[in-house]
Amino acid sequence: MKKHNIILPLYIIWLIILVLIPFILMLILSFAHTDGLDFSNISFSLTNFKEIIDPVYFDAYANSIILSFLASLICLLLAYPIALTITKFKNNKLKNIILIMFILPMWSNMLLRIIGWETLFQPNSILNYFDISLNLIGSPIAVVIGMVSTYLPFMIFPIYTVLNKIDPAVIEASYDLGATKTQTLRRVIFPLSLPGIYSGITMTFLPSATNFALPERLSAGKINLLGNLINSNFGKTFDYGFGSLLSVILITIIFILTIFINRKDKDGDLLL
Amino acid sequence: MKKLIELHHINKSFDDQVILDDFNLYINENEFITLVGPSGCGKTTLLRIIGGLESVDEGQVIFDGKDITKLEPNERTINTVFQKYALFPHLNVYENIAFGLRLKKVNEKEIEELVKWSLKLVNLNNYEDRKIDSLSGGQQQRVAIARAIVNKPKVLLLDEPLGALDLKLRQNMQYELKELQKKLHITFIFVTHDQEEALSMSDTVVVMNSGLIQQIGTPEDIYNEPKNRFVANFIGESNIIRGKYLGDKLVEFENVVFECVDTNFEKDEICDVVIRPEDFDVVSLDKAKLIGIVTDKVFKGVHYELCVDINGKEYIVHTYEEAEINSQLGLAIDPFEIHLMKVPQIEKA
Repeated sequence: MKKHNIILPLYIIWLIILVLIPFILMLILSFAHTDGLDFSNISFSLTNFKEIIDPVYFDAYANSIILSFLASLICLLLAYPIALTITKFKNNKLKNIILIMFILPMWSNMLLRIIGWETLFQPNSILNYFDISLNLIGSPIAVVIGMVSTYLPFMIFPIYTVLNKIDPAVIEASYDLGATKTQTLRRVIFPLSLPGIYSGITMTFLPSATNFALPERLSAGKINLLGNLINSNFGKTFDYGFGSLLSVILITIIFILTIFINRKDKDGDLLL
Repeated sequence: MKKLIELHHINKSFDDQVILDDFNLYINENEFITLVGPSGCGKTTLLRIIGGLESVDEGQVIFDGKDITKLEPNERTINTVFQKYALFPHLNVYENIAFGLRLKKVNEKEIEELVKWSLKLVNLNNYEDRKIDSLSGGQQQRVAIARAIVNKPKVLLLDEPLGALDLKLRQNMQYELKELQKKLHITFIFVTHDQEEALSMSDTVVVMNSGLIQQIGTPEDIYNEPKNRFVANFIGESNIIRGKYLGDKLVEFENVVFECVDTNFEKDEICDVVIRPEDFDVVSLDKAKLIGIVTDKVFKGVHYELCVDINGKEYIVHTYEEAEINSQLGLAIDPFEIHLMKVPQIEKA
């Protein structure tokens, strides 16, 4: 309890300074118009809200949702069999080695990996030696591949964690009651792994939808996501008001999704 | 009685460790049979082999005249009640019990009736909508039993199902399981390490050790006429004394000749004498056949447990009357309370 008492106030102060205050500032800014960082002519209105429903931005919203959804779906389809296979290994050492193999790429810089894909996707790449020219750069496929390769481990881990926690006796009980392997997967293993899937989706969908470096490089600037919009408002056009509003909306979406996940994940041990 | 399950020459090893060694057993229809033995004796593995959850290295499992050795668990009309219940945590009580029926595509109305019927059998009326994690251990146990019997299997396998329950509840469940078996007319194969449980529930008890059957028999046989030291020690408490059969229903141990009832021994054959602690009669010293010194006493509720030193050997004696420590105690034994066991060849030499 004592330890608890020292850490808790520190944590609350941390949250107030680094999360709550910036969020309130953003909330205020989302009603504001400024000349970049010059706040002397600040004025407040609802025009930012009118602006976000401007069809000009719909592409970015649609791209964010569709591409991230596709990427999450592909991640799920890849991660589920992988996670299921890893749990089947009886040797714990082998289990850990395979898991580490999936983490290992995450230790290299993400931008570096994206640039790696970028070079491969160019019409002229090292693949020309094998008479292959991917020429994917600028296409949605390139962006989705980039997202999948970046966030796949975040889908594997939560699913692996839940699958590994399923009591083997429960699976045996299913066979014992007459279920085949497929029926057991559908009626027992899959429903029991849903919390891991929810948490995997949050951890792939949200960062995919908000990433800006990845779409910028792999689409050669042709495909914009929400993250790119925010980036250009803060970093290029200096429209802090509009940028803040987009960020507030994004945070709200994340917040709602997190509440949803927490409902599904009562143990609270799935989010890495 | 009809043989329902036959196990022929079953061999099973895990990582070079022999679990079952050329194991043979017949199980009859409508029998309540208990496999009892210390942990690691192979009883659970045997149960899992019958259920199909474990494969055999060698041997055959015959069920109702058919070879089912190679069948998957879902292809066998056998259901299991698992040690830690293994209920489906994502389903409520109703859906847990309906699980097997849904796989068999039973129509919803019939499922409802059967679930109600099975819940009634385990005394859990109106628990259909309860979540599994809102149930106590005893209630979960009942749901696990209902989930198995609702499929009306010919054989129900029970893997130490009462192990996690407290004493009072366990005794109730022992009684209820026995009643259930009589009512349903199905074969129960029950695994336990608790010898008392084995004796009080079963028609037939199979005592196992190190992958081998030590003795098969009715609870009375097993208790009163253990075949060897292992059974005598494992089932109840025993005093085992080396003795010599003198012929004509006479046996000598502790340098005293006793009358006994066993006859299947050669004259002058060395044998082991088993005397249960409660079979000693405390008598006055002049009538005593054995005289010992009381070295310890423990009050057990119904009786006292005395440690008695006779010629330097310690005996356990149960008696209703208290005895002073360090006092002399006279003991006598009725002939029918003396049980003789063959001594294994290796020990004789």
